[in-house]
Amino acid sequence: MKKLLTILLASFMLLTACSSNSDKSTNTSNEGTNGGSTGKKQEITVWAWDKAFNIAAMETAKGIYAQKNADVTINVIENAQDDIIQKLNAGLNSGTTKTLPNIVLIEDYRAQSFLQAYPDSFFALDEFINAADFADYKIGPTSFEGKQYGVPFDSGVAGLYVRTDYLQEAGYTVDDLQDVTWDEYIEIGKAIKEKTGKDMLTQDPNDLGLIRMMIQSAGAWYLQEDGKTPFIANNAALEDAFNTYKNIMDANIVKVISDWSQFVGAFNSGDVASIPTGNWITASVKAEAEQSGKWAIVPFPTLANTASSVHASNLGGSSWYVMNVDGKEAAADFLKETFGSNVDFYQTLVTEIGAIGTLKAAAQGEAYTAPDEFFNGQTTIADLASWTEQIPNVNYGMHTYAVEDILVVEMQNFMNGTELETVLNNAQTQAETQIR
Amino acid sequence: MKLRRIADKLKYHDLFIKMFSIMLISIIAVALSTWIVMFRMSEQVFIDTFSITNSKIMTQIKTSMENMNYAVSMTASNANTSGEIRRFLTSSQYTTIEELNSHYKVTQEMRRIQSTLATYPIAMVITGINGNRHATDTTIWPPTYKGLQEHSITKQTLTEPRKLHYQLDESTIDGKKNSEAVVVASKALVEQVSGDFYGVLYFAMKEAEFRKNYAGFTTKGNDVLLINSDGVVISSNLSERLGTKELELLNYAQLIDKQEDEYLNVEWNNRQHMILSAYMPNYDLYLVNLIDKRYVLSQMLNVKTVALLCVAIVIVSLIIVFIMSRRITRSLTLLARQMSRVTKRNFGNYITVKGSNEIVEVGKAYNLMLDELNEYIAELLKTQKEQRNAELSALQMQINPHFLYNTLASVKILVQQGNREKASATINALIELLQNTIGNASETITVEQELINLKNYVYINHVRYGESIHVSYFIDEQCHRAQLPKLIIQPFIENAFFHAFQGRSDGYIYVMISRNGGNLVCEVVDNGVGFEPIKLDQHIKSETSSHFFSGIGIRNVNDRIELLYGGSYGVNINSSTGKGTHITITIPFISAKDITKT
Repeated sequence: MKKLLTILLASFMLLTACSSNSDKSTNTSNEGTNGGSTGKKQEITVWAWDKAFNIAAMETAKGIYAQKNADVTINVIENAQDDIIQKLNAGLNSGTTKTLPNIVLIEDYRAQSFLQAYPDSFFALDEFINAADFADYKIGPTSFEGKQYGVPFDSGVAGLYVRTDYLQEAGYTVDDLQDVTWDEYIEIGKAIKEKTGKDMLTQDPNDLGLIRMMIQSAGAWYLQEDGKTPFIANNAALEDAFNTYKNIMDANIVKVISDWSQFVGAFNSGDVASIPTGNWITASVKAEAEQSGKWAIVPFPTLANTASSVHASNLGGSSWYVMNVDGKEAAADFLKETFGSNVDFYQTLVTEIGAIGTLKAAAQGEAYTAPDEFFNGQTTIADLASWTEQIPNVNYGMHTYAVEDILVVEMQNFMNGTELETVLNNAQTQAETQIR
Repeated sequence: MKLRRIADKLKYHDLFIKMFSIMLISIIAVALSTWIVMFRMSEQVFIDTFSITNSKIMTQIKTSMENMNYAVSMTASNANTSGEIRRFLTSSQYTTIEELNSHYKVTQEMRRIQSTLATYPIAMVITGINGNRHATDTTIWPPTYKGLQEHSITKQTLTEPRKLHYQLDESTIDGKKNSEAVVVASKALVEQVSGDFYGVLYFAMKEAEFRKNYAGFTTKGNDVLLINSDGVVISSNLSERLGTKELELLNYAQLIDKQEDEYLNVEWNNRQHMILSAYMPNYDLYLVNLIDKRYVLSQMLNVKTVALLCVAIVIVSLIIVFIMSRRITRSLTLLARQMSRVTKRNFGNYITVKGSNEIVEVGKAYNLMLDELNEYIAELLKTQKEQRNAELSALQMQINPHFLYNTLASVKILVQQGNREKASATINALIELLQNTIGNASETITVEQELINLKNYVYINHVRYGESIHVSYFIDEQCHRAQLPKLIIQPFIENAFFHAFQGRSDGYIYVMISRNGGNLVCEVVDNGVGFEPIKLDQHIKSETSSHFFSGIGIRNVNDRIELLYGGSYGVNINSSTGKGTHITITIPFISAKDITKT
């Protein structure tokens, strides 16, 4: 009996000793986190959308970072973009940081609305990345009051995707579409429609992406430089864009659509001869393998009546932001080592996912200069990358989508015959009352 | 050998083994039966409560599903009556601007109509006979319009245009088949008045979202499936069952519906299931609730813990029982061992008294018994000895009356013959003989005295039968004072007188007494006819009237010596026919002084 008791007692002692040990170890790890050093078992949560693109890129980054930093766990959570916006707003409004992730992906058009409303909730990354390393146009949306908050990710650099076979049928070559104005584009479109019966492009009346691309190519936007004041009436570039838009419609070369499936379906089934859009469409274009060799990408057309318009623009594109919560240093370090500076990583992104980054140095890499057989051996990535550098820097401000909702309605009025000046003045008035 | 030793050991633990095994069996039996009964009872309780709560839950699910269906069918009817949508799907011959306008308007219209569905993440899709189409959210459905016209969902819809069809589309989803499967409710768009068909309306909802109608109620082992009338699983928390045909479940569901049962107990997927079902006529779907009885019960009861607890309790009680019964039986075992050591004639093995109170009492009683037993035996021995002595002395008293008669007759003849001297000598010898045998009370006498008795006896015999048989005495000097039991030599001389010389007129008898180490050796040798050893018994037993004593036989002599001195002493008879008889009596040499001392 005595023996039994002593054994029991001994095992209790041992147990308590063990548990006190484990307590100590957890304490030290907590201290490590609080101290900001790369402590043990750091966990980084990332919110992003689009499995094939953004999530895939983040997973690649995770793999690369894990090779050197095995003690950091990166937890990528996929959400729809709207959900992320909602959750982020909810979390930031409530003032608690518990529900927020360490890293979040935000579309450039919306970035300022978050940065300006909650500057303290985001972690400035000036000590980790150099803003000058990235394409200039990305800096506007991702920075606020001189501080760099976002790590610029994908380029939304716009290009004009064209069907070379349709061009040929209409008696043109790709060269005829290089560095054209929208007016020249319309003429070629008419010829193609006449010869092949195919429309030149698709348009969705509810999405003014084309207008946005046009005005950014001229260095203009829906808002003033301050990012707050609506700039619709007397916006020369916008006027030119609206007129050009109407010309395109009047030319009867547009296949009207109203959703994404129709958009993708139209060029996949060969119903349209061109797609003026962001480079992220490349994957969808290449999805139709039968059309290999029939496509080329040419520079974005310019607005004929706007001198500032260049052959480069942007559509979409997003960047990574570090939230000002526990573990921010680790998260910032992770972004610095991958999206912030790793040229090799960007080569992997291009070859495996087709994502073109905005790190300038990455454009020198091998993958960027490789020719693409689908586009007849064109060095598409290099071309797109070079256009990226020319994209005019505009301040998307806080209200891009709010203004666009107004413009969508006014555009219909314009199409139905209302004077342009009236349309834009109406829109200006509405915007001024709604925003603020 | 080893086995035997073990068997021997076990023999003493017999009681313990029996006691312990009875305890073992009964404890295990009690634990097991309690466990089983409890298990059965809780199973019954569980089934009763589960069937009640789950049928309530089923009603709840049904209600929430009906609500959704109501919203969907309301929206469908709104869409059907919308002129904007009808125009969008029927008209053709547009300019781009008109088309743009029409698309814009239909987008607005769809948005407006869809607002009645705002609480559900449902995408609306319309396709028209003019090839126009629109989807409110293509991330949900359809991924592409290609092939939609020929899709089984569309075809199914056109067979019954006025009905809202609920179907599952998992055919066009890339890679992840199940998680992205879409539940599609479809309805043909038909002109109200003319009945002309002009398009199809689809409501698409990711199955994962559709599932939320009931997902809150499901747990592992408590599953919900929605099965259409073809047996196809439209939605389920069991993702792997999506789109499969479950005809067996459909049969059960229809059976429950027909018999208006609460639930059925069935074997499904090789496991015992309780199945509840409700038919939802609006959906034309069976809402099936499957409960894996064993699993859910194990969740509720945690069979493992209960079993472990039972085992632990059984083991602990067995250990206690083992120790206790061991302690109790150990003292008994010891007692049994000590008792068994008390072999025959060895009553000195007293027991060391220890252990429990009862055992101590038993031990004490046993020891007491041994004491008494020993006392009794001692007493018995004493009495026996006394009895023997008394017997002997009695025997010694019984001098054969014939001997006396014959001797006295011989004396009478001597007197008549006038031989007074010889007559008086004979009378004297007789007197002396009688005096020594009857008068002397002590058991042993000296060799000297015995010699006198012998001589007197021989003298009387000579007077009676003549002096043809000569008796000679050779006595060792140092033996005169030695002690010997009374009248042990006389019977042999008497025997020699009357039997050794039958048919002969003369003979010799020698009596020799000598010391051999610690022994006194008396020998009676005759040169008579001798006898075969076999005849010894008859020979000795035969009694004649001429004998001095009526009761003391030669055999008695031997017994007396053994009784007095022990087994190593006695009479040895050596005889053969024609060669005479040699009798040797060996007794311990004890001188008369020793006797007086002790």
